[in-house]
Amino acid sequence: TAAPRAWPPRRPWLRAGLGQLLARTDTEQRIEIHKLRQGDNLILGFSIGGGIDQDPTQNPFSEDKTDKGIYVTRVTQGGPAEVAGLQIGDKIMQVNGWDMTMVTHDQARKRLTKRNEEVVRLLVTRQSLQKAVQQSMMS
Amino acid sequence: MYRDEEEIEREKMLLSEANSSEYKLSVSPEMDIMEYCMKEWRGNTPAAKRIRKGYEAVAQKFASIRRIRGDNYCAFRATLFQALSQAAQLPRWLQSKDFTMLPENLLSKYDWIKQWQLRQKPGKRMGEIKDEIKEYLILLRKKWKNISEIKGPLEKQEACDKLFKNEEEEYSLYEALKFLMLNTAIELYNADKSGKRVPVFSWLLFARDTSSNPCQLMHNHLNHIGHSGGLEQVEMFLLAYALQYTIQVYRLYKYSTDEFITLYPNDPEEDWPVVTLITEDDRHYNIPVRMCQETML
Repeated sequence: TAAPRAWPPRRPWLRAGLGQLLARTDTEQRIEIHKLRQGDNLILGFSIGGGIDQDPTQNPFSEDKTDKGIYVTRVTQGGPAEVAGLQIGDKIMQVNGWDMTMVTHDQARKRLTKRNEEVVRLLVTRQSLQKAVQQSMMS
Repeated sequence: MYRDEEEIEREKMLLSEANSSEYKLSVSPEMDIMEYCMKEWRGNTPAAKRIRKGYEAVAQKFASIRRIRGDNYCAFRATLFQALSQAAQLPRWLQSKDFTMLPENLLSKYDWIKQWQLRQKPGKRMGEIKDEIKEYLILLRKKWKNISEIKGPLEKQEACDKLFKNEEEEYSLYEALKFLMLNTAIELYNADKSGKRVPVFSWLLFARDTSSNPCQLMHNHLNHIGHSGGLEQVEMFLLAYALQYTIQVYRLYKYSTDEFITLYPNDPEEDWPVVTLITEDDRHYNIPVRMCQETML
C-alpha cells in the first residue's frame, strides 16, 4: 500500500454538489484544551497543517486555496483535543490570544506546545453545513 | 569525484533522456513524490527499500518532486532554482555596492586567477576574464532582483521556469556562483592564516591534496565544475557559505543514519534562508516542492 500522504485525503462530501447548493456558514468556536502529561511531554491530541511557508493548494479543508492558515488535520480519538470539542477541519485563528492566521508552520507548532502551558484556549472557525440544512428544511 | 567511464556514460544517457523529452527545461515539471519513487525504484534489494523509505520521509513534508537536468552543474541548478523560487529580497552580499568590482579586485591581488577557466561560448569571442566574470555577476544580480520583486508565487515560479531553460544565461549564473565560491574560499583561507576562527569545513576543504590553497582549489576543482566534475560534499559547504543560505539535503542512501538529512553548513545561522534538495547518491540532485507539513501535537 502507498505510504500515508502528508495530508489526509480529500473528503468527497465536502466537495459534493450539496455543499454548493446550500449556504456555508462559518461559526466561531472557543475550545479549551487541557493537555495530557505523558512522561516528559504535554500532549494535545491533534495534528496541524498549513502555515505561511507551506503550499496552500495541498489543504483539503480550506475553501479558499490561497488560505495559508493553520488547520486541524487529525484529532486523536479520546484525546484532550477531542474531549474539548476540537474537530478535524477547524481553522485555528488564535491560541491564548496570539494570532495564528499569519504564522509559519513551525511558529504555530511552538505556540501550541509551550512547555509551561497546561491549558491552551483556541479560537477556531468551523465550516458548518448542518445549520444550513436545518434552516432549509424548516422553511 | 572524477567520474569513471561508466558514470560518464550514465550521465550521457540521463542527459539525452532529458534532452529528448523535455529538451528546453532544465527543471522538469513536478510529479507526486511517491508516484515518482514507485516508478523509479521497483526492486526489492536492500538499497531499493532504503531509497523508498527515504522518499516516504521526504513525502512527510513535500508533495512533489521536480527532476533536475543531470549534468555536472546539477548541484548549482538545484540550489539556485530553489533559492530563486522563494526569493523575496536580494541577499545582503548581492546588495553590496562593490559586488561587481569583485573580479577586478581579486585579479589585481592574485595573479593566478588569470588561469580561471571561463565557459566557452560557441561563436562568441572571449573577452578579458575580469569583464566576462563581471558580466556573470551583473546578470546574477539582475535576475535575482527581478525574481525577488515578483509578489505572486505562481508568477515567481513561471519566471524561474523561464530562466532555467538550458540557454547560455542559465550557465552564466552558475559561472557566477563558481566565482563567488572562489572569493569565499580566499576569505576563509586568509582568515585562517591570520589566526581568525573559521568553520570546520574550511580545514577539510584545504586539507585535500588537490586543494591545499585557493589557487589549487581553482585549478583542480572549480575550473572543472560543470565539465568533468560536479560539487563534492565539502564544496557544498562552500557554496552554502558563498550564498549565505542553508542547503538542507535529503540523502536517501543514508536513510536510517544520522546523515539522512544533512545541513550545509551543519550548524546554520538563524537568518540564512533554507533551501531543500534531494539526492539518492550525493552525485545527482533533484528538488522537492510544495511544502505540506503535518505535525502531531
